[in-house]
Amino acid sequence: MNEALAAAAASASGLTFVDRTEGETFVTYGDVRARARRTAGALRARGVETGDRVALVFPTSPAFLEAFFGVLLAGAVPVPLYPPVRLGRLAEYLVSTSRMIAAVGARLVLADATTRSLLGKAIESSRPPLGCVTLGDLGPAGELEAEIGPGALGLIQFSSGSTADPRPVALSHDGLMAQLAALRALLPREEALPQKGVSWLPLYHDMGLIGCLLQAVYYPGPLVLIPPELFLARPALWLRAIARHRATISVAPSFAYALCAKRVRDEDLGGADLSCWQVALCGAEPVSLDSLDRFARRFGPFGFDRRALRPVYGLAEAALAVTFTPGDREVKATRVDPVRLAATGEAVDGPRAVVSVGTPVPGTDVEVRGPDGSVLGELRVGRIFVRGPSVMAGYFGQPEATASALSGGWLDTGDLGFVAGGELHVCGREKNVIVIRGANHLPQEFEEALAGVEGVRAGCAVAVGFVPEGEDGEQLLVLAERARGTGPPADDEGTVERIRRAVLSHTGIRPHTVRLLEPGTLPRTSSGKLRRNEALRRFLAGALDPPVRVGRLRVLIEVVRSALAFTRVRLGGGAGRPTSA
Amino acid sequence: MDDVRAEVLAEIRRTLAADLEVAGPVELHHQLAADLQVDSVGALVLAVALEDRFRVSLAGTDAPSVVTVEDLVVVVERAVREGRAR
Repeated sequence: MNEALAAAAASASGLTFVDRTEGETFVTYGDVRARARRTAGALRARGVETGDRVALVFPTSPAFLEAFFGVLLAGAVPVPLYPPVRLGRLAEYLVSTSRMIAAVGARLVLADATTRSLLGKAIESSRPPLGCVTLGDLGPAGELEAEIGPGALGLIQFSSGSTADPRPVALSHDGLMAQLAALRALLPREEALPQKGVSWLPLYHDMGLIGCLLQAVYYPGPLVLIPPELFLARPALWLRAIARHRATISVAPSFAYALCAKRVRDEDLGGADLSCWQVALCGAEPVSLDSLDRFARRFGPFGFDRRALRPVYGLAEAALAVTFTPGDREVKATRVDPVRLAATGEAVDGPRAVVSVGTPVPGTDVEVRGPDGSVLGELRVGRIFVRGPSVMAGYFGQPEATASALSGGWLDTGDLGFVAGGELHVCGREKNVIVIRGANHLPQEFEEALAGVEGVRAGCAVAVGFVPEGEDGEQLLVLAERARGTGPPADDEGTVERIRRAVLSHTGIRPHTVRLLEPGTLPRTSSGKLRRNEALRRFLAGALDPPVRVGRLRVLIEVVRSALAFTRVRLGGGAGRPTSA
Repeated sequence: MDDVRAEVLAEIRRTLAADLEVAGPVELHHQLAADLQVDSVGALVLAVALEDRFRVSLAGTDAPSVVTVEDLVVVVERAVREGRAR
């Protein structure tokens, strides 16, 4: 990566930062490298050694670049973390940041001055040996550009921002370079048209960091960066920047296309011309055909070519991209019956459109496997496995988690999909991750928020992600069992409302659907653990039924299971049914 | 309630209604998340709108500890008074 920066520095190209008044600051790659070399020297003088992890907490700004490449040039490993939330939920933010700093054993945390002033408690509890400093604190100490040994780690990125169980994805320099080379091979040839990018994606996320920033450095070519919060507040900024800079490439999750179609007004665009936009990649969450179609129709009059839209699939554990769709065609989808899909694993013709995410990127292999590990044929739903040079080295410091994800060079993505017409279609997920607006969340985040909510049977609720009909992307579904003795319809409405409030105020995410169930309805393992994916499968197949009335033996089993599920059940009545909590 | 407070509350109400589709009344005691259903993206939209309207920066303030509408009014008002230009 350091060689790529040196090559980019020799070009006149660079990065443009857009601010909220749409003022712009241009920094050449030469500037970035010169500053990063000084940062590297200062980091080494501070005691940062080869292979040390350095956490970075910056907004989208030139300082992020200086810090990120400074760490790389010092031979250390950058770990970008997300900056503090703007309003509310600071306590949760500090807990998750502290856990991420601890999970990678960061030696030092670098932050901008504002963030540093908020991080106090996270630093206190995670105790990086060299503390938390700003770039200004580092002071001058000469320049440095360390040699990178073979197999050295180049980056650690988190696959989700969840508080419960952060998974640090460790990528080698070689893996990163393989990913960047594969991506470049998929772009239109340079001599045909030099690529010019615009991105509002966060720089602590694989798609924004590797797909946009590092790809621009590697290419090398110009990139315009917009802070993500400005895009969310004023989505038209993104489209205006593309038109103003005559950008050819930009990438975003499905929800961003939907947000623009909904919120951007004609007068916001002022006659902007989007015909320059040749590659409009869409990934990081399930791709919604509907959203892309609405976007294409909405901005067609502004010159947007719907053939520019290219759905892609990837995950942090594979560095970024796994499959790409080819250019110069319309978005392809296969229509399936969602109930049959959930019930039998067969993709048969039906009302739901599942978008094709194309074929593997160069150097990468993909297999869809059945429960017995055999590779499945077309239209059979199975688990997606990936092999290739940019697959992660492992979860940093977590050999058990690594062993369950990587086997014989194959990465178990935990995603479900099928092949149709030789192209991969992603239609679900077996791993416990909920993807909302391109961000990954663990179900525990939401389930923990339900502790103590009146009317909910303690420990008997699951959070899962699903794509509701007519929605633009994945949404949060909460399936919760009623507390015993509160059965319907007594206070269902109140309980649902309490669940919604608890989840939203703890997590900042609004549940799309909350469904209350009879006690004992949620499927469990033999040891009493809730089976989230099975619960979702039954929900989608319309088969979430309350348990049948049971005899005495089943009562005993039920009691044991309930006890194991951390629920107290007392036996009452004489009809052989478990009653009252 | 003086002018600045009233203006801040008006801007909060305007943004919630126009950009975040919050229907119904918005009062000082309402919790942004629990009562008004403002999610994390909504909170960002609200913060950016207030920063733009009052030409202040909410970064580095106690904005992250905001829970109710009144908390938010107080934070913005203080930033305005202290002339915390962005």
